Amino acid sequence: MMTSPVQLSTPAAHPDTPLISIRDLWKQLGAQQVLKGFDIDVPAGETLVILGRSGGGKSVLLKHIIGLMKPDRGDVWVDGESIVALTERQLSRVRKKIAVLFQSAALFDSMTVEENIAFPLRETGVKDQQVIDARVARALDMVDLAGEQKKMPEKLSGGMRKRVGLARAIVTEPRCILYDEPTTGLDPIVADSINRLIRRLQKRLGITSIVVTHDMKSAFHVADQVAYLYDGRAYFRGTPDALRASTDPLIHDFIEGRSRELTSDD
Amino acid sequence: MTLFVRIIGQNVLSFCSYLGQLLLLAVDSFRSIFTAPIRWKLFMGQLLEVGYRSQLVVLVTGGFTGAVFAAQTYFQFHRLGMDSAVGAVVSVSMFRELGPVLTGLMLAGRVGAAMSAEIGTMKVTEQIDALRALGVYPVDYLVVPRLLAMMISMPLLVAECVGLGIVAGYFVGVVLLDVQGAYYLDYMLSFTGSRDIKMALTKGVVFSLIIVLVSCHQGLNAKEGAVGVGRAPTEAVVIGSLSILVINFFLSLILNAIFPAGI
Repeated sequence: MMTSPVQLSTPAAHPDTPLISIRDLWKQLGAQQVLKGFDIDVPAGETLVILGRSGGGKSVLLKHIIGLMKPDRGDVWVDGESIVALTERQLSRVRKKIAVLFQSAALFDSMTVEENIAFPLRETGVKDQQVIDARVARALDMVDLAGEQKKMPEKLSGGMRKRVGLARAIVTEPRCILYDEPTTGLDPIVADSINRLIRRLQKRLGITSIVVTHDMKSAFHVADQVAYLYDGRAYFRGTPDALRASTDPLIHDFIEGRSRELTSDD
Repeated sequence: MTLFVRIIGQNVLSFCSYLGQLLLLAVDSFRSIFTAPIRWKLFMGQLLEVGYRSQLVVLVTGGFTGAVFAAQTYFQFHRLGMDSAVGAVVSVSMFRELGPVLTGLMLAGRVGAAMSAEIGTMKVTEQIDALRALGVYPVDYLVVPRLLAMMISMPLLVAECVGLGIVAGYFVGVVLLDVQGAYYLDYMLSFTGSRDIKMALTKGVVFSLIIVLVSCHQGLNAKEGAVGVGRAPTEAVVIGSLSILVINFFLSLILNAIFPAGI
């Protein structure tokens, strides 16, 4: 059930502006055309899961939302403001509204857990050490890592690093969090705890979330809306239930984790 | 022939592009110094790392260079009966060429490699993307503290290198090789002036800029993977060292016109 190429209007013209809007996004990396006119709207307070195969451009798409990459064509709107023409310094203002949980967590390895989480607070001008300590402790508590302040990142397991990354992302209480493969490489129990955390953050703090993943369990657990990125476009947009009910062979194969080539070979 | 011209053209273009990127990084860094708040804690950390902890390397280099230069000069000058000129030759050479160039080369190795490796590792582990995502401009955070620390440390390290080189030269000339101490000092002071000190310090500042910009640029542009991170410090040291040697020649000609050598 391929969605029709809906012409989405310019976000600024909308009275009820979505928090993030992507319009006709094109990006070529080397010889590969990674994005070919991707469109999506993400209303405030919702969790959008972007599904797609590995190497399909999901992380590239995420990097465009926060301005870490510039598109060849198209536009990205954050909170009613187009960000593609902004300079790196101007983007700092926009980036304070959006936090990112990187696939590798990207913790600063020269800093302790506490310093990593306090970093965005200090950058936003919080100077009172007591306030910083309290907010760091609260963020660590939310990700079930209370008391791990003094550890260095290299002493943490993969799941703990992701949770510290998440604590660093939520400590400033951003309006939106982007999750890049939050459960990849984690055992099922830790992956489930990360999924629950994402859901809890949305419910408790009303944070808008965009989750990029190819983990179907994670997608069905956290998503309000799902987009399936295929061939550089949003091949499917809809609810998790609509995705499950889809009879489209491409989507069905993806949900079932079935390779067409292997099936035909068998 | 066409292939030859194309290869030459590609190399010239990539060299120009590289120079352009370095220039943009320099402009961006200096703009940051005047427009963005200075991160004093990082600056002090870099001052400790590139300044304080480089002293041993620089002192050993300066001391033994001064010593061997005094000995070799003495061996040649002694045959001409010009023993007392050894001090002047060592002093002027240390100030005008050997001190700044050797300090630059040693720091390009010690500090340049460390800077490019650290920043390169941050690049490939997404830490630089994390900085940007947290609204921190990497040039403000990574380049400016290093640039300021090097611009302050380098002239002082050059002074230490030159100073110990002259002392070591005096020790070799006067104590070991029996040059008359009074003549040695008199000639040395007669031929060495503030112009030589200014030349040494100017070269020190210029070389510090070269080391930081080349090293940070290599780190910020490190390619993915262990090979990319490994290549960044190697290239930073090679490009930094060669740039220092080449630019030193032109700088010597220019500075000699501004601060001419002589009595």
